[in-house]
Amino acid sequence: MNTSSLSIALVSLFAALVAVFGLIPKIDLPLGVPITLQTLGVMLAGCILGPKRALQALLLFLAAVALGLPLLSGGRGGLGVFFSPASGYLLGWPAGAFVTGWIMTLLPKHSPRSSAISAFIASALGGLVVVHVAGVVGLVNIANLSWQQAITGTLVFVPGDLIKCTLCATVVHTVARGLPDWRLGG
Amino acid sequence: MKSLYSDHPTWLHAVPAGTKLVFLAVLSTGVFFVNEWLSLGLCALICVGIFASLGRTTATVKPLLVGLMVACVLLSAFHLLMQQPALAAVTVLRLVCTTLMGIALTLTTRYSDLLHVLEWVLSPLKRLGISSERLALQLALMLRFTEHFFILWRRLDDAHRLRTGQVGGFKILAPLTIQMLMSTRHVADTLHVRLRR
Repeated sequence: MNTSSLSIALVSLFAALVAVFGLIPKIDLPLGVPITLQTLGVMLAGCILGPKRALQALLLFLAAVALGLPLLSGGRGGLGVFFSPASGYLLGWPAGAFVTGWIMTLLPKHSPRSSAISAFIASALGGLVVVHVAGVVGLVNIANLSWQQAITGTLVFVPGDLIKCTLCATVVHTVARGLPDWRLGG
Repeated sequence: MKSLYSDHPTWLHAVPAGTKLVFLAVLSTGVFFVNEWLSLGLCALICVGIFASLGRTTATVKPLLVGLMVACVLLSAFHLLMQQPALAAVTVLRLVCTTLMGIALTLTTRYSDLLHVLEWVLSPLKRLGISSERLALQLALMLRFTEHFFILWRRLDDAHRLRTGQVGGFKILAPLTIQMLMSTRHVADTLHVRLRR
């Protein structure tokens, strides 16, 4: 299969998958930051596509949001969302997907089980740590919180995101079994 | 997938997309250099005035405005609780200025006009091998498949409900991903034949 066509298809279709995850209702938490399934899309993109394509998929998704498409959970979209207190998390998605994919390339994937364990570690570091660091920077700069307040605020999401890491590992395990020829991590 | 753009004409529709984007970029950068609540209040007043002048058009984005209000209330309550009223005012006023103008731009600018600006911005990157035509194709594919995958999700959910009597939820994530990856291969084959690359 031609890699250029496969890249175009993978990037577009994964961006679509992240959008579909946004159609599932969001839960609002204090400070105006919603908990969404879309971060699971960030983790999955990194684990399944690898760093470069995952970065492209999330950049494409954010470009579509910036162009005014209501693709974020709760039907949000447009340039206004990039100025909200949660914008740090949004901008952290491409970086999170890249780091997840990069870590996934370094970890063993010789069996479905080892792939799932690698996916859990990669998504916890990329999809959780990197996205939360970006989110904290956003909260400090836009919501004018202190670092300590922002870190405390973001910790509310960590249990939910750890569940998403487990879900990501489960999906990767199934993909590794169902599509054994798929190169996880790109 | 319907954009947040409104067809109901306003004076802001006539302003070119590039001009509006430059204004938004200057505004969003500028408000972060101002720490005085009086100047920010004046700026917010102008932004609210511009937004209100759009009239009926703004009715379609009520959920976004409710979200903005909730964020403002929570942020100001938090800062007031910390006994920092000036900081509360500055934070909320900045948020109101940038978010309202961002929403106004989205409401009054066609998706295709914004895409043209994006293609123009990305055109220097052609030398690095990043093609703006490829971006347009990827956006079109993404929109087409968002709808497709959502229908697929609902079909899988219905099938799971028929088999087990329970909602599919997270259990259908893995089959959805596998079906999506298989679709990707078909789409890649079609693109290869069509684009010859």
